[in-house]
Amino acid sequence: MKRRSITIIAALILALAVASLAFAEANARKGKFLYRSKCRTCHGAAASDLSPNSKTQADWKKTFAKVESIKCYKDWKGVSAEDRADIFAYLHDYAKDSPSPAKCN
Amino acid sequence: MCFNRCGLIARVEQGIVTKLDPNPKFTKSRGMLCARGNAGVAQVYDPDRLKTPMLRVGARGEGKWKAISWDEAIELAASRMKDIAAKHTRCGMLFSAGADMQSGFVSRFAEAFGSFNVTSHESLCLLSGNRAFVDTFGDVPVPDVKHSRYVILAGANRLEALITPDSMDLVAIMRDGAKVVVLDPRYTKSAALASEWHPIRPGTDMAFMLALANVIISEKLYDAAYMAERTSGFDKLAAHVAEMTPEWAEKQTGIPAADIARIARELAAAAPASMVYPGRRSSDYENATQIRRSFAIVNALLGNYDRPGGLVPARPAGLKKVAFEPPWYDDTPPGRVDAKSVPLLFDDEGSFVLTREAVIKGAPYPIKGWFVYKTNPMATAPERRKTREMIDKLDFMVVVDITMSDTAWMADLVLPAPSAMERQDPVQALQAGAEGACLVWRDPVIPAMYESRPVFDILKALAGKLGLGEFFDFDIAGYRKQQLAAFSEAEEILKRDGVFYPPNPPLGSTDGQPFKTPSQKIELFSTRYADLGLDPLPVYTPPKPSPEANRRFRLVVGRSACVTQGSSTNNALLTEFEPENTLWLNEEAAKELGIRQGDVVQVESPAGKGELKALVTPKIRKDTVYMLSGFGSISGGLSRTKGVGASIVELIESRFDTICGNSAIHETFLSVRKKGAA
Repeated sequence: MKRRSITIIAALILALAVASLAFAEANARKGKFLYRSKCRTCHGAAASDLSPNSKTQADWKKTFAKVESIKCYKDWKGVSAEDRADIFAYLHDYAKDSPSPAKCN
Repeated sequence: MCFNRCGLIARVEQGIVTKLDPNPKFTKSRGMLCARGNAGVAQVYDPDRLKTPMLRVGARGEGKWKAISWDEAIELAASRMKDIAAKHTRCGMLFSAGADMQSGFVSRFAEAFGSFNVTSHESLCLLSGNRAFVDTFGDVPVPDVKHSRYVILAGANRLEALITPDSMDLVAIMRDGAKVVVLDPRYTKSAALASEWHPIRPGTDMAFMLALANVIISEKLYDAAYMAERTSGFDKLAAHVAEMTPEWAEKQTGIPAADIARIARELAAAAPASMVYPGRRSSDYENATQIRRSFAIVNALLGNYDRPGGLVPARPAGLKKVAFEPPWYDDTPPGRVDAKSVPLLFDDEGSFVLTREAVIKGAPYPIKGWFVYKTNPMATAPERRKTREMIDKLDFMVVVDITMSDTAWMADLVLPAPSAMERQDPVQALQAGAEGACLVWRDPVIPAMYESRPVFDILKALAGKLGLGEFFDFDIAGYRKQQLAAFSEAEEILKRDGVFYPPNPPLGSTDGQPFKTPSQKIELFSTRYADLGLDPLPVYTPPKPSPEANRRFRLVVGRSACVTQGSSTNNALLTEFEPENTLWLNEEAAKELGIRQGDVVQVESPAGKGELKALVTPKIRKDTVYMLSGFGSISGGLSRTKGVGASIVELIESRFDTICGNSAIHETFLSVRKKGAA
């Protein structure tokens, strides 16, 4: 019983975290700038290996719900929570199934 | 002069371009060149061309100019842009660029400068169709007319408003026995050459499409396994259209029910090599996105996605983005000036009509500067006086163009651009139905004439003055190399052939792949619309009648094979084919009004008025009038069109698509009377 309620609470916290990432007044435009300056050093100068278009909105939500499990998370030092929310907003808002998908050519 | 970008070979004799011929290697135009392509020579040697930078010295629009040097012009533009940024944030500058191979540099500059406010011609043209197909299929597929056996052309006059290769392919497939059905209130050349023509009541295309869906579903003319696997919301669609029978649609469209049912059956029998042609300009009604959704839905029922003769996904062109890291300015507002004005604005295109409204109001924040490159809203955006009102709110406006367009005529500073024959352009990808993508570029065949400079050079010079030089730290040759990084052989082939064909995946390669929609299927029922409180299935409402009895004619506009709006009407050769525009008026209606062939008529709407000659004809419905775009210019720099005919933008009211903000230019009713009549 106790374990179950902990699971539920954990799930709730997770859901809230995702919701706040998605719906807070995050700035997708700033996120684009931050993505370019902070992520692109690893993710290809031509941005060819990863862009908003690489995933669906649901996948970006899933990915950012568990940032610790992202392969390059250890390199995210210096990216504040606010910056991370902006980067998420950029990737999510221009995802391949979004209303304004990022263009690939 | 045109967005099709047909491959050309220029004949140059003693430094003069004497003739243009089609490039036979450029298959997208099927080895042909239209009247406008041929007339490209006249654009190069047009005496109306801008020759030097010009500074306005009289009142705005008065036409008093002073020639200045490029150094002065760049210095002035840079300092005014700097002032506007300091006073109103960098989003206080608006950037608008037309369909041109260098327009991408304007967006790049805007981003480096720090403004989100970028518009193009698209929100006065094709965005509603794009919106509808993105929201249904997750992308904007390309019609494979060449292999189609049955095509419905609605809201598209493809044999006059030419698009390569579709226009040529339509003719070719009809010759081979395919059927083309045209719905148009006007007997266009497309209608004349088509297998059949139905003079549909304007604004009722959706009723026709929903009735096609009704027949296809009720008679089970669809592929049930495909519907189950690849679409979502089939049952909801079936329930939605259950009552929308051909008999119901006949009352709306004026097309006999028996014809509607027969067309539905024929269309389904030819599936998947059949289509409702998606069209290009969809800026017609306030519910244009929903109208085009009904087009998309019928295509989905035909199971024609990624099938020969159906709608095929745009193919990967393999062009590399030339990455850059523009700066971030913390004082900029959160979004575009037209953000959130409609539920589904395309973020990179916005809405010209709604941006204009925001500039006039000065809210949510002021825009005080405007950089315009080869687009002409003073001749293409509805209700010209509003565009003028917008311009009157500006502190600084600079226009880069080949001639003194109506928009340039209003500017503070006008900068001369070279023609396509005089420029080196970056690589661009073009799509041609099932044949997929091809890559093209342009090299100059003669040096830039007069003092003209390509917009790339202008932006580079401005960037240097504004401390943004690092974002334009390249030349076009270097830029092309980066774009073509994936293809080592492309540069040589482009030099030799003028076109490069990247590897083209076979049709059907998207089978089994998820669609880029929220449900990962073709959304017959749009969950996105449901979430936004929009109709998740297209709901038909009959077009609103004219609010005033004396304004009894719905105005529809379009272009001919010799006209690309204002960018070609002033051409010395083309003007011989289309010297002025006329008002197409039904002969019975004309009789009632006492109007005879060639009479000058006065036309009026709440937006404004105009005068032009009447073309009295049986080729248009009695409730509709038609005019060609691109005439009635106001610029003193356009010697062949100034004051000739009437301008569509003097008459069209400022309506817009309520979902995506595209302009809605078939919502205006006109009164028509003979000039001089009481």
